[in-house]
Amino acid sequence: MDIFKIGWTVAAILAVITVVEYIFAVNVANDTVRFLGLAGAGVGKAVLIGYFFMHISRVWRAEAH
Amino acid sequence: MAVAAPGYGATQARLPMLRAGLWLFFFSESILFGLLLTTRFYLLGIDREHVDQLLGLGITSILLLSSVTAFTAETAIEHNRQGIARWGLIATIVLGLIFTVGVGFEWATAEFSREEAFGSVFFTMTGIHATHVISGIGILILVLAQQMRGKYSGENHWPLSGAVMYWHFVDIVWVFFYPALYLVS
Repeated sequence: MDIFKIGWTVAAILAVITVVEYIFAVNVANDTVRFLGLAGAGVGKAVLIGYFFMHISRVWRAEAH
Repeated sequence: MAVAAPGYGATQARLPMLRAGLWLFFFSESILFGLLLTTRFYLLGIDREHVDQLLGLGITSILLLSSVTAFTAETAIEHNRQGIARWGLIATIVLGLIFTVGVGFEWATAEFSREEAFGSVFFTMTGIHATHVISGIGILILVLAQQMRGKYSGENHWPLSGAVMYWHFVDIVWVFFYPALYLVS
């Protein structure tokens, strides 16, 4: 159903990032690069969850009456 | 047909303030979790002990999946789809319980003790996070009970939305805890 489509799309992206994050951590030898990559993946996932699931933009939006 | 609960208008009028209050609560909680994360890197740098990678990836996937079911529940109630909202909440609660059992299993099988620096950090971080997961499950059970009694509708569902947002926040915290405890180093 269309109203739930965005949720599953975001879920698929989160799943891909999580798997890539894991493979990246296992295979990258440089500590700094690995740390920065993991931090970037974490921020990316947090932004996706915050924007699409937690509707952070609604905090600044006036309610329609 | 669902009937708007008493005080519906007042709740709608206060909705922006309720949302802002919840986000301020998240901000204060972020300070707590941020300090724990800082402690982890201050004490250990990027070092870590052996942890069960498969279990870590598994419980992380389960928690991320629970965010989708929680989102589904919230979206469903916004469209007055009571049945889907109910099953979304139930699925979220079950996935949360599975996550908690996974953390418990990790604790039981850990190859380090709480006397070690890593053990101390690991048990503190996962313990405080798991406490939030358990309290989230409790809140979701209360919301589910109210939903089953027909208390929420497409226009009046702030408690359910607030509970789901809290669940997403707990999920975001784990998004940072998982690499810090399982993947770094």
